Amino acid sequence: MSRMLKLIYNEQLKIYIRKSTWAMYIILGVIIIGLAVMTNSFGELGEQYQGDDWQEVLQQENKELQKEGEEDEFVGSLNASIIEENNYYLDNNIQPTPYGAWQFLRENMLLLSVVSLLTIIIAAGIVANEFRWGTIKLLLIRPISRSGILLSKYISVLLFALFTSIFVFLFSFIIGAVFFGVEGMNPSIVSNEASGYTTISLIPTIFSEYGYSMVNLVMMTTFAFMISTVFRNSALAIGTAIFLMMAGNSIVGFFQDKEWAKYILFANTDLSQYADGRTPWIEGMTLGFSITMLIIYYVVFILLSWLFFTKRDVAGQ
Amino acid sequence: MTLAAMELIDVKRSIGNKEIIKGLSFSIYKGEVFGFIGPNGAGKTTTIRMMVGLMKLTDGDIHILGNSIKTNYKKAVREVGAIVENPEMYPFMSGWQNLMHYARMIPGVTKDRINEVINLVGLEKPIHDKVGKYSLGMRQRLGIAQALLHKPSVLILDEPTNGLDPAGIREIRQYIRKLAKEEDVAIIISSHLLSEIEQMCDRIGVIKNGELISIQDVGEQASVDNLTKIQVEVTPLEKAKNLLKEHYDIETIVMDNGLSFQGEKEKIPAIIKTFVENDCSIYQVSVTKGTLEDQFFELIGENTIE
Repeated sequence: MSRMLKLIYNEQLKIYIRKSTWAMYIILGVIIIGLAVMTNSFGELGEQYQGDDWQEVLQQENKELQKEGEEDEFVGSLNASIIEENNYYLDNNIQPTPYGAWQFLRENMLLLSVVSLLTIIIAAGIVANEFRWGTIKLLLIRPISRSGILLSKYISVLLFALFTSIFVFLFSFIIGAVFFGVEGMNPSIVSNEASGYTTISLIPTIFSEYGYSMVNLVMMTTFAFMISTVFRNSALAIGTAIFLMMAGNSIVGFFQDKEWAKYILFANTDLSQYADGRTPWIEGMTLGFSITMLIIYYVVFILLSWLFFTKRDVAGQ
Repeated sequence: MTLAAMELIDVKRSIGNKEIIKGLSFSIYKGEVFGFIGPNGAGKTTTIRMMVGLMKLTDGDIHILGNSIKTNYKKAVREVGAIVENPEMYPFMSGWQNLMHYARMIPGVTKDRINEVINLVGLEKPIHDKVGKYSLGMRQRLGIAQALLHKPSVLILDEPTNGLDPAGIREIRQYIRKLAKEEDVAIIISSHLLSEIEQMCDRIGVIKNGELISIQDVGEQASVDNLTKIQVEVTPLEKAKNLLKEHYDIETIVMDNGLSFQGEKEKIPAIIKTFVENDCSIYQVSVTKGTLEDQFFELIGENTIE
């Protein structure tokens, strides 16, 4: 085993040996099961469309919705979109897909923000805790460069993010399969996209959506890691990173009219804004621009971490 | 004793404009136990931090087996095992897991070696307990164990007996002597427990305000030192005091019921004779050998942090 692998193994061990890490996974698991129970009790599972008479069921439903809508204008506007969706099924002769593990998985993409949160906590602690425990001294007096130790820690944080995302992904699918069954190997659903209702293939959509949210995950993790290394204080790192993660979009919204708004990190983290048929957040932004901005921010974060970790003395607390 | 295991060459360190280490130069040889003492704030810990690469040198260099800590860090530090300040370990891991963790960072440390080190420090029983439950003494032992894992040529121990009970102190002391003698390790011990340093070390370096003010041999100090502290219980006091002043030019301090002064042991019979001839009554003469502690305070004066 190469030296770097051993260092990464050490860091992984220090993450996963702690009960607080396992508590994170248990919390994620409980949330996923909770979501499944709630969807099972209150959600639209589409069971009524599974018979041979699904077209009649849809037409019947449209009539009822129409009637309801005429009585109340607000309900009417809500119902209009459902009617539109139902008509799409009828016009194109598509039988609605029943709710299943894949759709549950797609909805659970929201949980990636919880994964971000947990990864931020790990990233914020991985350097700062060594200083807090005083173990940094025994860690740095080994025949290994400080850059090597820092790199092993950074890779470990990314691995934690990866493992936790995979956990959410797999566990959601398994729980979804247990509660709702699997829709099939390549299910497609009707979805309200920018261009109106269309049929989309579910699995590629899920992967691209999870992929897009990884960008934000990596950026916020790297940010928390940077604060942790520079200030050697995990609370500060957790606080600022979570605040920025929550407030990121509002910050961009607030400064939207300004010339420089597009240079804000959070204007660029959602790359799905450049996907087919969608308009970017701020006029004039392109995919290339966003990627360039992301790389610049990333390099700055990494460079700051590296400079502070390798150049600064380890003096008393 | 010819090859310096660790050599400090005019090591300087400034923080801001303030020079806290003002040019330390000394060598530590294989098989030797070197005591490093000084009052709080003298720069002991700073020097130790520089020896292991935790702090950078402003000027000068440190060579470990000829490898510069500045230009050849990995090679230099490979030969160093250390405890810096308290032996802090990961509290949520067992002693064994902690040692494995450090063993992975240095090539060539086998499981047999880990077991050997555990036996050496006597931690066989609690090695699989969490370090968070260890007493300070047990942590100290574990700290020494991690410092020895890779068979270093230089062992740096910051207050190694801190928190140990008398039996433990004795054990560690014997062990340190054994390491130096049998494994030819150069050992640097910092402490402010002077008697402990005296019992353990071959040579002692005294540091004050970032300067090395004295290096002395422990054996030498015990035998060559010819000025001893002499106390004489004698009456009448004034008369005896004047006699000493007249005949031997010795300044004395008047104590409760006697005189106290510094003098050569060989002179005692003559002094007694003088007293007797001048009708002074002598009740008791005692000699106290100057301890390291006295010398230490002589050297550093008051314990002031400047």
